[in-house]
Amino acid sequence: MFRGNLRKFFVAGISLFTLLGGVLSPMSQAAAPINLSIWTYGNVIDPVLIAQYKKLHPNITIVAKKSDLDGNAQALRYALPSSAVPDIAAVEISYMGEFRNYTQYLTDLSTLTPGAPSLASKYLSWRWNNMVADSGQVLGVPTDVGGLAVAYRIDLFKKAGLPTAPAAVSALWPTWDKFIETGKGYVAKQKGKAFIDIAQTIYTAVVNQGAQKYYDGSGNLVYDNNPNIQAAFNYTAAASQANLGTNVAQYSPDWNVGLNKGLYATVLAPAWMLQYIKQYAPKTTGLWNIATLPGNAGNQGGSALTIPTHAAHPQEAWDFIRWYTAPAQQKFEFINNLTFPTVTSLYTDPKVGDLKDPFFNNAPIGKIYSDSVKSVQPFQLGKKDRLIDSTIGQALSRVQLGKQLPQAAWTQAMSDIRRAIN
Amino acid sequence: MAFRSSTVAPKNRGDRWGLLYVSPFFFIFGIFGLLPILFTVYVSFFHWDPLAGHNYIGLDNFRNLFTDPYFYRAVRNTFSIFLISFVPQTILALLLANFLANPQLKFKVFWRTILLVPWVTSILSVAIIFSELFGQNYGMVNVAMHYLGLSHIGIHDVNWVGQTIPSHIAISSMIIYRNLGYASLIYLASMLAIPRDLYESASLDGASKLQQFRYVTIPQLKNTLTFMLIVGTIGGLQTFLEPLTYGGVQGGDSRQFSTLALYLYEQIIINNKFGYAAAIGVAITILTVIISGVNFLVTRRISGGES
Repeated sequence: MFRGNLRKFFVAGISLFTLLGGVLSPMSQAAAPINLSIWTYGNVIDPVLIAQYKKLHPNITIVAKKSDLDGNAQALRYALPSSAVPDIAAVEISYMGEFRNYTQYLTDLSTLTPGAPSLASKYLSWRWNNMVADSGQVLGVPTDVGGLAVAYRIDLFKKAGLPTAPAAVSALWPTWDKFIETGKGYVAKQKGKAFIDIAQTIYTAVVNQGAQKYYDGSGNLVYDNNPNIQAAFNYTAAASQANLGTNVAQYSPDWNVGLNKGLYATVLAPAWMLQYIKQYAPKTTGLWNIATLPGNAGNQGGSALTIPTHAAHPQEAWDFIRWYTAPAQQKFEFINNLTFPTVTSLYTDPKVGDLKDPFFNNAPIGKIYSDSVKSVQPFQLGKKDRLIDSTIGQALSRVQLGKQLPQAAWTQAMSDIRRAIN
Repeated sequence: MAFRSSTVAPKNRGDRWGLLYVSPFFFIFGIFGLLPILFTVYVSFFHWDPLAGHNYIGLDNFRNLFTDPYFYRAVRNTFSIFLISFVPQTILALLLANFLANPQLKFKVFWRTILLVPWVTSILSVAIIFSELFGQNYGMVNVAMHYLGLSHIGIHDVNWVGQTIPSHIAISSMIIYRNLGYASLIYLASMLAIPRDLYESASLDGASKLQQFRYVTIPQLKNTLTFMLIVGTIGGLQTFLEPLTYGGVQGGDSRQFSTLALYLYEQIIINNKFGYAAAIGVAITILTVIISGVNFLVTRRISGGES
């Protein structure tokens, strides 16, 4: 009895499915739907804009798979040679040095219509060139650029007897030496407080001000004899040894609490980090202002969208990328999420150039960050950027915690890198 | 005669049918268990980069592994974290199980269910919450230690991430938190299986509760303890998500909490060396086999000596 019922149930179920399938499939075919898949990380892809795109193109459904920065790059390494690739892949600048070597796995955007080179002049040139392979293929379009400036706490500066107006604060540190000197004065007056959240962030700031990073123009490794790398390491070590920073990790829960409690007087902040500060320290509204970085030029981070060679819908992906990185969308992202645009015409756009935020005491965010990204010098990205960054980062953390003296930490970092890249 | 042969024939056929019934397991194990293991061994002989391609380098990965100080550090960390988690966990679990085995205890089911709750939480959420607890400046553990007066004996503002032993303690505490209830229930189950008359005769002989625990309960649990030791070491060798969530892929600035599994992962994620990672994987497998072998021999010696 039971068996018979069960069989009837299954038969009924199966016929119902076939029936539904038969009714539904012609309807969906009429709309010719396309699923565009995106592999991304962090806040590169904004769901608000995705919803807008869906309204403009009802037949296109965007499916974004979000991981963390390293996990995303790792998944791409596996996937790119295979056919199991997304239509669009977000790549962070610290991994672009690796991916730009594999032109066989990423679509040359010059071959799509309209060709990418026609867009080049609209974008910040060094940032655009990050995405161009040595042999000339255009592999991606940058969605944003970090820029870098100093977010500082007005109330804490006042307590320490320092000036509080942005121009006067910027004038305190025309150089990194002066920045560290100011910091020493601050921690001498404000016992138990830190001048900067994390001293190790100075390293990236100084490195990205150079005309060369870990590779020279012809792709040879120069990490161990590039004077700018050494200078960046030394400035950071000096700041650590003068106790300017704390021992916590950036974005850790402890760091968030410190932000709220006013433990740090300054944070070296790329534009996208301002949004993070607003979110995680909402009570500090109006207590912040923004000054320029010592040496003014600065960048940290930035993302771009690429199309894998084996993508199923390259042309639709390209249409989406062009729309997503177009001035209107970048402007929207800057105003709403403070990710800084890569389209240079926006820097003089009143909505961008004059953007002020009451959270940061109406600092001219647009102007400060456009000045900082415009004066960045282009340098060669390379395959091992991420590895070298993190190995030197470990060394600087050892100096910060007093586990090693700077010289020993540097020596160990160099041998660690040599071992790791072999 | 006819009777005999007719009993033999169906028996043989039954064996074959039995093989057919268990074959799905071997089929699935072959595809998802055995093949990946064999492929890992294969990859370990190569310099392997999924994008740049691969070339055969013989035993170079293993040669490098034997001279790699960070591999040995990972071995050290793995065993240290295992010891710091397994020993207290076993003691606590035995005490808890003993408490729950008390026949006079009220709300038995409630306590047992409560115990198992941490076991069903995901490792990831445990690790995230514990990372908050162990924050250096505002973490609850440091604050609690301050109020307990530990700062008077020089223990204050412990950097639970930066220093080796504190980081091992923090990671072990996550493992203990998650496994304690499960271990307690296993011990409880075998405690309830101990014949009650053993306790009765012990108390007639004048043994106190403590003595009963020491001389009746513990010896009776020997098999369960060995089982937990073997399962625990195998799990310990795979410690991965806790340190990763706690302090990143590299396991700290001096690799102070980089475990074997995390070191393998670092080779893939940061160094992009799949061949080397595979060699580490093979090394973990060999270590597991050796330790299981030692466990087996020790257990046999113990149980042999008993009987």
